[in-house]
Amino acid sequence: MGAFLLRRAGQSLVTLLLASVVVFCGIRALPGDPALALAGEERDPTALAEVRAQYGLDQPIPVQYWRWLTEMASGNLGVSLRTGIPVSETILTRVPVTLELALLSLLVAILLGVGAGVLAAVRRGSRVEWLANMAALLGLSVPSFWLGIMLILVFAIILGWLPASGYVAPLADPVGNLQRMVLPSLVLGTQFAAILMRQTRSALLESLGADYVRTARAKGLSEPQVVFGHALRNSLITVLTLLGLRLGLLISGAVITEQVFVIPGFGRLVVEAVFTRDYPIIQGVAMVSAGAYILANLAVDLLYSVANPRIRLAGAAT
Amino acid sequence: MKRWGWWVVPVCSVLLLAACGPVGDKSDSGTAGGGGAVRAGGTLTVALADDPDKLDPTLARTLVGRIVFLSLCEKLYDIDQKLNVVPQLAAGMPSISQDGRTVEIKLREGVKFNDDTPLDAAAVKKSLDRHRTLEGSQRKSELLAVSGVDVVDPATVRLRLSQPFAPLAAVLADRSGMVMSPKQLDKLGADFGSEPVCVGPFRFAERVAQDRIVLEKSQSYYAKDQVHLDKLVYKPITDENIRLANLRSGDVQVADQIQPTDVPGVQRDSSLQLIVAGSLGYQGITFNVGNTKGLPPAPAGKAAGALAADPRVRQAFELSLDRETLNKVVFNGLYEPTCSPIPLNSPYATEALSQCPAHDVAKAKQLLADAGVKTPVNVELTTDNSPQAARIGQAIQSMAKEAGFDVKLRATEFATALDDTDAGKYQAFQVGWSGRVDPDGNISNFHLSEGSQNISRASDKRIDDLILEARTTTDTAKRKQLYGEIIKAVQERDSVLYLWRQKTYIGASKKVAGLKVYDDSLIRVTSAGLTGS
Repeated sequence: MGAFLLRRAGQSLVTLLLASVVVFCGIRALPGDPALALAGEERDPTALAEVRAQYGLDQPIPVQYWRWLTEMASGNLGVSLRTGIPVSETILTRVPVTLELALLSLLVAILLGVGAGVLAAVRRGSRVEWLANMAALLGLSVPSFWLGIMLILVFAIILGWLPASGYVAPLADPVGNLQRMVLPSLVLGTQFAAILMRQTRSALLESLGADYVRTARAKGLSEPQVVFGHALRNSLITVLTLLGLRLGLLISGAVITEQVFVIPGFGRLVVEAVFTRDYPIIQGVAMVSAGAYILANLAVDLLYSVANPRIRLAGAAT
Repeated sequence: MKRWGWWVVPVCSVLLLAACGPVGDKSDSGTAGGGGAVRAGGTLTVALADDPDKLDPTLARTLVGRIVFLSLCEKLYDIDQKLNVVPQLAAGMPSISQDGRTVEIKLREGVKFNDDTPLDAAAVKKSLDRHRTLEGSQRKSELLAVSGVDVVDPATVRLRLSQPFAPLAAVLADRSGMVMSPKQLDKLGADFGSEPVCVGPFRFAERVAQDRIVLEKSQSYYAKDQVHLDKLVYKPITDENIRLANLRSGDVQVADQIQPTDVPGVQRDSSLQLIVAGSLGYQGITFNVGNTKGLPPAPAGKAAGALAADPRVRQAFELSLDRETLNKVVFNGLYEPTCSPIPLNSPYATEALSQCPAHDVAKAKQLLADAGVKTPVNVELTTDNSPQAARIGQAIQSMAKEAGFDVKLRATEFATALDDTDAGKYQAFQVGWSGRVDPDGNISNFHLSEGSQNISRASDKRIDDLILEARTTTDTAKRKQLYGEIIKAVQERDSVLYLWRQKTYIGASKKVAGLKVYDDSLIRVTSAGLTGS
C-alpha cells in the first residue's frame, strides 16, 4: 500500500508539472493583453507600460514561467491583476463554496440516480422503468442554464420560497446556506443523476443475472437482501468509477450554475478571470483544479478495494 | 462586455411572460421616489453590472468602481443634476490666477476621514502627489498639467500648472479629486485598495472578490444625519437577465444597467420602479485611417482601403446609415441618436451640433462616385461578440449595403478586439466611450494626433490646435464656440462616426427612496433609504 501511494504521488507530481506548463502557455496563447483587458476603455499608454513592468508581463515567457513556478513552490500564487487580492486567499474562499456545491449535487445525484437506477433494474419492463428512463432522458437533455432560470422563476420569483441567488457560509447561517444551495444543487446534480441512473440500472441488471445472485436466491435470501446486500454492492464498482471522474467534472461544471445563481465559487472565478486575462487567478485555479482531480482519482482507486475485496492494489499485492 | 448571451431568447421570453401584471410607476427624473417615508437603518443591496477593480482611487479604472467610490471616497468637486461642477470637499470653486497657471482650492473645514483623522491641505497634497507619481497610476494623464502641489495653509492647497487647464475642476470631480487618509496610505502604501479609508458617507467593511463589497455607515462623516442606511452591499451580477431576476425576487433592491429589451418588463412590474437618466458617453464606429504601427508614440501611416484613403467614402458610409432606424430596431427606440461626442445636456453643446446628416442613400452613392471607388466597397467591421453587438452589426450591414458597401462582421471577444484595434489590425470598429463631464475628456484623447486613444491615427493640425486652445481657455463662451468648430471639423473628417448615445436605466424596488442617478450614469445612494417598516 505504501509503495502504491508513493508511486501514485510521484505520478501526480509529474502530471501537475505538465499541467502547469500547459496552463501557463495556454493562457498566454490567447490573444489579448492582460494590461489592456484590465484597463478597459481607460487605456493610458504610460500606465499600461507600468502595469506590465509591475507584474513582469514584459519579461520573456520562460522567465515569467520560472518565476511563477518558484513562487508557487514556496506557496505564493501571486495577486489578482484586477483586484490586487492574493490568489491563494481568493482560492481558499472559493474552494469550500464549490466543494459544498459539488458535494450537495453529488448527494442529489446519488439519491435520484442510484434510487431510480435500482428501481428501473428491479422493475424491469414495468412503467416504473419507462418513467425512470424518460426522467433520465429529460435530465440529460435539459441545459443547466435553462433549468436554473426556470427554478429561479418558479421558486424565487413566483412562489418566493427560496432566494434567487447568493451564498452564505454554513457556519454563519446554516438554514440560509441550505436555502441558497437547494436550487443550484438540483441544477448541477440533475444531469449527473441521469447518467448515474443509466449506469446503475445496467450494472445492476448484469449483476442480477449473475450466478452468485442465483445462488443467493436459492439459499432463500429475501429480494432486498439479494439486491442491496449482493448485487448492488458489486454494481457500485462502476458507479464509484463514475463518481470519481464526475466529482472533478462537477467542480468544473459548476461554472454555469455558479453564474446563474451568483455563487462566489471556483467556476465564476475562472470565467471572470479568463475574460479579464487575470493570469495569476487562471493559473492558480487551474493548478488547484488539477490537484483536486488527481486526488479524487487516487481516492477512487483506494475505494475500489473497500467496495470489492477481490480487487487488490498492485502496490499492496507485491 | 456581454456574456452568456446564448440564452437571451428563452430567458427574455420567460421573464416577459412572468412580467404580466399591473403597470408600475416610471420615474424619469433620475431619482427613486419609492413610497412612504424613509426609515432610518436597513441594508440596501445594489447589483452591479461588473466586479469593480481595485478600490484605490489612484489605480482604479472601471465604471462600476466609480459607483462604489461615490459612497466611499468623496472628491474635491462633484457634479450636480445639471452636470455643473460643484464643491464637495472643497469649500468653493477653484481660484485661478490671471495667467491660468496657479489654482488655489480652499477646503471645507471640520471634515474627518473615516478613521477619524482630519482632512487638511497636507492630506490633499499627499493624495494628489500619489495620483501624479505612483507606479501604474491611472490618474497621471488626467493630472499631466499639474506640475506641483503646495500647502498654503491647513485649509488651502495650491496647484501649479505647466499650462492653463480648463478641465481641472471637472477632473477633480472624479477619482483624481479623491482624497485618501494619509494614515491609511502610510499603513498600506500601494495596497491601499485592500482597505480604503477616505471621507465618505460609508466606510469600507469587507470585500469578497466577485461576490460582494460591504460598506457600513460612517460615524465620522460630516453629514451623517443625511445618511439613512446602516449598510450597503454591492453585488456584481454580470448577466443582465440574472440581475433582473434578482431584482424581481427581492434579493437585490437596485439593479444597474437594465437593458432596453427589459425596460417594458420593469415598467409593468408593480413592485419596481425605473429610474431613467442620460449619459455622458457615446457609441459609434471608429475607422482606421492611419494606424499601421499602433498607438502613439508609434508613427502614423496610411491604412489600406478606400475608407482610410478618402473622407468622402467615410461620409458616404455615414449617409448610408439611418440612426433613428438603428435605435428603433436594436434598442426599441430607448437610446438617443447622436452625431457628436458632446452630450446635449453639456453646457458646451449647441442644438446645431445635434443636427445629424439625414439618411441619404442617393447622396452616399454620389459621394462614392465622386471618390472614384469601385463598388461594392469592402468593409470589415469589428464588433464585440455579444448578441447585442451582433444585432447592431447586422443592422449596419444591411443599411450600408444599399449604398454600395459590403460589410463583413468580425465578432471578437472584447479584450482581443482592444488588442487588435490598438495595434491597427482593423478597418472599422464599433466601440464607445463612457464619457466625462468636461468635453475635453470626450474629445482630446480620441482626436489629437498624439491622443492616447486615437486608434484611428487620423491627424490634422487644425483640429489639434483647436482642441489645445479649448483645453487652455477658461472662458465658457469662448470654449463653447471652439467646441462648435471642433465638432464640425471632426464630423467632416469622419474618423469617428458617432451613432447613438445610451440612456441609463436603473431598476429599483418601490421600497427604495432617495436614490439618485445623474447623467454620468452612476448610482448615488448617499441619501437613499428604505421605506416602510
